[in-house]
Amino acid sequence: MLDLFDDYTLRTVALGSAALGITSGALGTFAVLRRQSLLGDAISHAALPGVAIAFLLTGSKAPLVLVAGAALAGFLGTLLVMGIVRTTRVKYDSALGIVLSVFFGFGLVLLTFIQRRPDASQAGLDRFLFGQAAGLLRRDLVTMAILGGIALGVMLLVWKELKLLAFDPDYGTSLGYPMRALDVLLTSLLVVAIVIGLQTVGVVLMAAMVIAPAAAARQWTDRLGLGALLAACFGALAGIVGTVLSTETERLPTGPTIVLCVTAIVLVSLLAAGRRGLIWRELRGRRDRRRLRLAAVLTDLYELERQHPEAHRGHSAAVLSVMSGGAQPSLEELERRGDVRRLGDDAWELTETGREKAET
Amino acid sequence: MSQTPAVDVTDLTVAYGEKPVLWDVDLEVPPGVLMAIVGPNGAGKTTLIRTILGMVKPAAGQALVYGRPYEQQRRRVAYVPQRGSVDWDFPTSVLDVVLMGRYGRLGWIRRPGAADREAALVALEQVGMSELAGRQISQLSGGQQQRVFLARALVQHADVYFMDEPFQGVDATTERAIVELLRSLRSDGRTVVAVHHDLQTVTEYFDQVTLMNVRRIASGPVDEVFTEENLRRTYGGRAAVFGRNGA
Repeated sequence: MLDLFDDYTLRTVALGSAALGITSGALGTFAVLRRQSLLGDAISHAALPGVAIAFLLTGSKAPLVLVAGAALAGFLGTLLVMGIVRTTRVKYDSALGIVLSVFFGFGLVLLTFIQRRPDASQAGLDRFLFGQAAGLLRRDLVTMAILGGIALGVMLLVWKELKLLAFDPDYGTSLGYPMRALDVLLTSLLVVAIVIGLQTVGVVLMAAMVIAPAAAARQWTDRLGLGALLAACFGALAGIVGTVLSTETERLPTGPTIVLCVTAIVLVSLLAAGRRGLIWRELRGRRDRRRLRLAAVLTDLYELERQHPEAHRGHSAAVLSVMSGGAQPSLEELERRGDVRRLGDDAWELTETGREKAET
Repeated sequence: MSQTPAVDVTDLTVAYGEKPVLWDVDLEVPPGVLMAIVGPNGAGKTTLIRTILGMVKPAAGQALVYGRPYEQQRRRVAYVPQRGSVDWDFPTSVLDVVLMGRYGRLGWIRRPGAADREAALVALEQVGMSELAGRQISQLSGGQQQRVFLARALVQHADVYFMDEPFQGVDATTERAIVELLRSLRSDGRTVVAVHHDLQTVTEYFDQVTLMNVRRIASGPVDEVFTEENLRRTYGGRAAVFGRNGA
C-alpha cells in the first residue's frame, strides 16, 4: 500500500478525492438535515451544460474555467428551482425534476456537438458524465483543494447561523438574521462542493457524495459538529478507496466505484451503528421480548401457587404454556437464574428469590 | 393612559392571494399584561404574530413595539414559535437550542461563550429543566420541548414575548410551570402576547384578551371583553357554552 502512494499520479488522485469527499460530506450534512438531498442531484446535473459552454467559449480545459462554468450553471439551476416554486404552483420536487432533466439534456446535446467537431482538443470532456480520476492533474488538485478549503472555511465561520437555518429558520428571522440570504449562501457552498467533484465523480452520481456520507454519519452521532466531521471522514474514505480502485483497474469509471464504496459505508452504518443501528435495535427487541416472557411465566407460576397453596408438587410446563405460551424454554432460563426449581420431570415451583421477584 | 403601549398594531391587513387572512386589525397591548389572542382555526392568530415579527409582509397597516418599528426593537422582543414547527430529531442538545436565544445579541460569526451558557442554564432552571441541559432533544416529551422553547425565549431577556400556542399539547405539570412563568414575567413588568386555544382557562391565566376572526372582534380586559356575546360573534354561535363571564 505504501508503494501505491509513492506513485505520483495515484497520490494526486487520492488527495483530490479526499478533498472532494471532505467538502461534500461536511456540507451535505446541512443538505440532508434540511431535507434538501435532491437539491444536490439537481445542482450536479445542471452543471453539465456549464462545463460544455465554458469550453465552447474559451476553448480551454483549464480546471478553473470548467469549474467556473459548472458552478455558474449549477447556481443558475438552483435559482431557477427557487423561482419556479415561488412564482408558480409547481411544487419543489417537480421543479427540481424539471430543472435537472432540462439542464442535463441540454448538456448532453452540447457534449455531443463538441465531440463531433473535427479537432481533437475536446477529448476528455465526457469524463464529466461518469467521472475519471485517472486524468487528474496537479493543477486540478490545487483548484479542488483551494475551492474546497474556502467552502469549508466559510461554513465554519457561519456555523452558528447555518445551524439556526437548518433547525428553526423562522426563529432566526425573528432574531434579525437574513435567513433567505443564508439559504442562498449555503446553496452556493453546496454548489462549490459539488463542482469540485464533478471531474472525478461525474454529474450523474455526484449527489451520492452529498447525501450518503451525511446519512451514514447521522446513524453514529446525535451532535451536529461531530456529524459533519464524521461525514467528512466518510466522504474522504469513500473517495480515496474508490479512486484508487478505479485508477488501478483498466476502464473502471471512478464515479460508480466511489458510489459503491460510500454505499458500503451507509450499509454498515445502518446495520451496526449504536442506538440507531438495525442490529442493535433487533437485539434490544429480542432481549425485551425475552425479559417480558420470563416475567410472564414467573407471574403465572406465582398465581398458580396462590391458587393452590397446599401443593408443594409444582406445576407443569404445559399448564404454564396455556397461560403464556411456549413456557418450557423460559422455565429453563429461569432455572439457570435460580428463580424457579425443577421438582420432577415436568413440575416447577418458585424459589424464594423467584417469589420475591414475582411479588414486585 | 399616556403610557406607550408595548405593542401597537394599526389597520394591519394581510392577504394570501386574494383571500384576506387579517382584515384591518387594530391591537393595543399595554405594558406588563398577559394578553391572550383567541379565535377559531384559520382566524389569523399565528399570522398576526408573524406579521408583527416581520415574517409576513402586510398589504397595509403597521405594527409598533414600544413606539417603534420591530426592526429597531428586536432586542426587546422574544418569540416562541409553535412546538411543531421544527424537527425535534435534529442532532442537537437542550442547552444548544436554548443558546440560540443568545444569537441575536451575539451577532454574526461570534460563538456563545461562558456568560451565554450561564444565562442558558439560569433559563433552564426557570422552566425546571436544568437536569436535562445535556439531553438530546429527540428524547424530550412534548411538554419538555415547549419548556425548551420558553427557555430559549427567556435568555433573550426581552420586554415583550410573543408565544404561539404555548399550552398546545402539554402535560399538566408543564401547564402549571408555564402559568407560573407567565406570572413571574408579568411581575417583572414584561408583556406577553400568546395565542391561546383553551377558552376555559382564558380568565384564569390572562389579564387581557383579543378575540379575532380575520377581523378583530373585541380586545381589552378579560372581565369586560370575554363575554358570551363576543364569543358568539367570534365563533359564529358555536362556542356560546364556553362563555364564563356571560352577561
